[in-house]
Amino acid sequence: MRPKLAYSFPEEVLEHVFSFIECDKDRGSISLVCKSWYEIERWCRRRVFVGNCYAVSPATVVNRFPKVRSITIKGKPHFADFNLVPEGWGAYVGPWIKAMAAAYPWLQEIRLKRMVVTDECLELIAKSFKNFGVLVLTSCEGFTTDGLAAIAAHCRNLRELELRESEVEDICGHWLSHFPDSYTSLVSLNISCLGNEVNLSALERLVSRCPNLQTLRLNRAVPLDRLANLLRGAPQLVELGTGAYTSEMRPEVFSNLAEAFAGCRQLKSLSGFWDVLPSYLPAVYPICSNLTSLNMSYATIQSPDLIKLVSQCENLQRLWVLDYIEDAGLEVIAASCKDLRELRVFPSDPFGLEPNVALTEQGLVSVSEGCSKLQSVLYFCRQMSNVALLTIARNRPNMTRFRLCIIEPQVPDYLTQDPLDAGFGAIVEHCKDLRRLSLSGLLTDRVFEYIGTYGKKLEMLSVAFAGDSDLGLHHVLSGCDNLRKLEIRDCPFGDKALLANAAKLETMRSLWMSSCLVSYGACKLLGQKMPMLNVEVIDERGPPDSRPDNSPVEKLYIYRTVSGPRLDMPGYVWRMEDDSALRIS
Amino acid sequence: MSGTAMAVVKPEMTSYIWLQTVDGSIHQVEEEVAMFCPMICQEVLQTGMGSSKTCAISLPHHVNPAIFDLILDYCRFHQVPGHSNKELKIFNEKFVRIDTKKLCELTSAADSLQLKPLVDLTSRALARIIEGKTPEEIRETFHLPDDLTEEEKLEPLRNVTDDPRIRLLNRLYARKRKELQERKKLKDVAVEEEPKDERSVEDLLSFINGADGDIKGTRASKNKKKNRRKDQAKDLSSKNANENNKGLNLLPSAYHNVNFDKALEASASKHSRMQTIPAVNFSPKFEFIDGDVDDDLDPAVKEELDREVEDFARRLNSDWPERMQILSLGQDRRLVPISVNGNGSTHLYTSLC
Repeated sequence: MRPKLAYSFPEEVLEHVFSFIECDKDRGSISLVCKSWYEIERWCRRRVFVGNCYAVSPATVVNRFPKVRSITIKGKPHFADFNLVPEGWGAYVGPWIKAMAAAYPWLQEIRLKRMVVTDECLELIAKSFKNFGVLVLTSCEGFTTDGLAAIAAHCRNLRELELRESEVEDICGHWLSHFPDSYTSLVSLNISCLGNEVNLSALERLVSRCPNLQTLRLNRAVPLDRLANLLRGAPQLVELGTGAYTSEMRPEVFSNLAEAFAGCRQLKSLSGFWDVLPSYLPAVYPICSNLTSLNMSYATIQSPDLIKLVSQCENLQRLWVLDYIEDAGLEVIAASCKDLRELRVFPSDPFGLEPNVALTEQGLVSVSEGCSKLQSVLYFCRQMSNVALLTIARNRPNMTRFRLCIIEPQVPDYLTQDPLDAGFGAIVEHCKDLRRLSLSGLLTDRVFEYIGTYGKKLEMLSVAFAGDSDLGLHHVLSGCDNLRKLEIRDCPFGDKALLANAAKLETMRSLWMSSCLVSYGACKLLGQKMPMLNVEVIDERGPPDSRPDNSPVEKLYIYRTVSGPRLDMPGYVWRMEDDSALRIS
Repeated sequence: MSGTAMAVVKPEMTSYIWLQTVDGSIHQVEEEVAMFCPMICQEVLQTGMGSSKTCAISLPHHVNPAIFDLILDYCRFHQVPGHSNKELKIFNEKFVRIDTKKLCELTSAADSLQLKPLVDLTSRALARIIEGKTPEEIRETFHLPDDLTEEEKLEPLRNVTDDPRIRLLNRLYARKRKELQERKKLKDVAVEEEPKDERSVEDLLSFINGADGDIKGTRASKNKKKNRRKDQAKDLSSKNANENNKGLNLLPSAYHNVNFDKALEASASKHSRMQTIPAVNFSPKFEFIDGDVDDDLDPAVKEELDREVEDFARRLNSDWPERMQILSLGQDRRLVPISVNGNGSTHLYTSLC
């Protein structure tokens, strides 16, 4: 019983206190305090985040939180981005939209990631939510421009429409014209992933009549000579993604463009830059010093041009760039961009056998030395050394996300030929707040020992072609207290570590293992023993029962759930259940 | 304050409003200060009460004298115009630096007096107190009952990670409490030492170490690992499919080993109450107590319990590097010492054979 008399609040007061608490984790904590807080909290919860659409059913969410205004749902596992999840796997948002259409007439925001969204879904959204304002579809698929037309036509209060890296079947560029002339509330429009042309005059009219437009990300098909007009229609823009950044070199196009850019005094973020013609780059020079975010990852221009541009961006916080930047360019960045927090360097020629650019580990080391606020790194390169990693770790103990992708698998320290265990060990040891880590290069079980020992705040770990034995996996599962997502491919991890750490899996969002050595028998065992987990075997070779129990499965996806088995699995996904592992098909 | 009760209000330099707090005591408050509270203002204007001692306005029951004084302080400060934003900020921040109990009372009182700015101020302060705490910590802070059932606790979308070791500790704690309760009932005060947890972990370790020789990995094919964009990526999974078959011969025979199942029993949970530590430190023979226990104990006894549990946790954690050594040596690998010197920097000596 309670040692002291509990202080009782009037409900409205408590609700008012809760209204100042937004973070999901805190809302979760509040709801677990006691019955009365649970009740009050659920009635005033306005935003819900569902990290795995199969962890909970739409009905459960809708019943528990009757007054939600904003929902974020994630679907497929991260490795779907690398084509490791076959077509038709699932993550259909349909059931969610249907449930919410009935329960949340006042829903305003839907944000989805890696989900399948159909035109019917979009139509249902457009017609069901009178005050609908925000639709963000990241890495989604399954819909066409017809669905977009429905959104444009019906959502009078739409503020944000963002299609980030989604696969959209581009039927007709006139969907934009479905925004009525009276519609002026647009704040953010991202159509960068659309393949075909949109109706440019409709776009221009839309842009110029929306005074609150802050973000405009165009697609490649928007030609450069139309950009100036668009900019003139929206000088208040804060974030811009250009279309193709090339045209016949004509002085009037250039001066037009330069003037238009100069007029956008609020611009802080630039992206796009497909097909860059370097001689047009100076048009953006006047605004470079205002930029905090620059995404040149589509720009296939060489180091000198990149350097000229980036060296003027002294307030840059985020930079995404191709490895054309080279070590020399990164050194310039280290000297000029003292506020840099996030760096992503992508490979220009990942499938080439020889390096095509002078980018090595040295570039990253320079940036780690010069940019004291650097905390998030994604770096593709071809060589790495333990001493470089140690240097980076010592320079940047404030690192929170570190993803290193040495392009060839299992490449050792190029100086000593040793595995890179010690280097990554230094990273986890020094960077005490590290939350996300991706490994590459030659790695033994030792690196996992370091990770298990030091990676106490690690939440997401990606591993490929690493380790020697189950011990590696065991270190991670038993040592990383805050691990939420673990994704593994092509590692010699089998049954033992997985089964010995079975209970750990319930504390994580999900585990992905593909091309490892986990046997079908172990999967069945796990499925039987762990009712709170869905253990799904993905095997395109046919029913796992047709092979011996000790035969390894192709792919394994395990996730915790309160909603039991999912019912929408395709033929190549088998759920390991209590009584029979045989699917009735 | 004037000693005589006046039925008629004489015009004076300062007007007062008379207010009565929930304990019955009557207070005389400067008019402009009192009228800062919408509820009081409303009462005065609508009913004419408050003009003298005999017709003092009764304040809502949340307003006891101590809280009443605080509220007056607030009103006294805020009803004076001309404070700079900085002054207001400093005052407000200082104002809510009080113990949580008082803060709660203040919030309720402000709410009943409809003093919205103060309600906001105190609510925000309470929100900050709540943020970052675990449910248990929140319960402790506000003295709330732990009355959700296991099922109900499981049902919410669980964002909180649950260290299996902490769960084990909670089980031990519960068991210990139960034991002590039992003894208390028998009026036996002497508390036995908790049996030392020096159990061998060999059962679990043996199968991890034992057949590991044969899992020397399939040297996977040299395929490109990661592509950041779908349009760039070739279908690596189809490329790999053929190569994977090479690894099939090297499967551990330990799968059929009886230890395997036993270890699984130890680590898998049968239902939500029988969670166990999946890691190295416990043998399958360890028993767990079902169910939660009422926390009806002497604080002194509780303290002792806490100490024991802490000891236990320390032993758990300190054992870890040694057990790692055992595991690594079992792997036929030279240990890489990571020595930490005084200022916390480390030197790594890599000498892998």
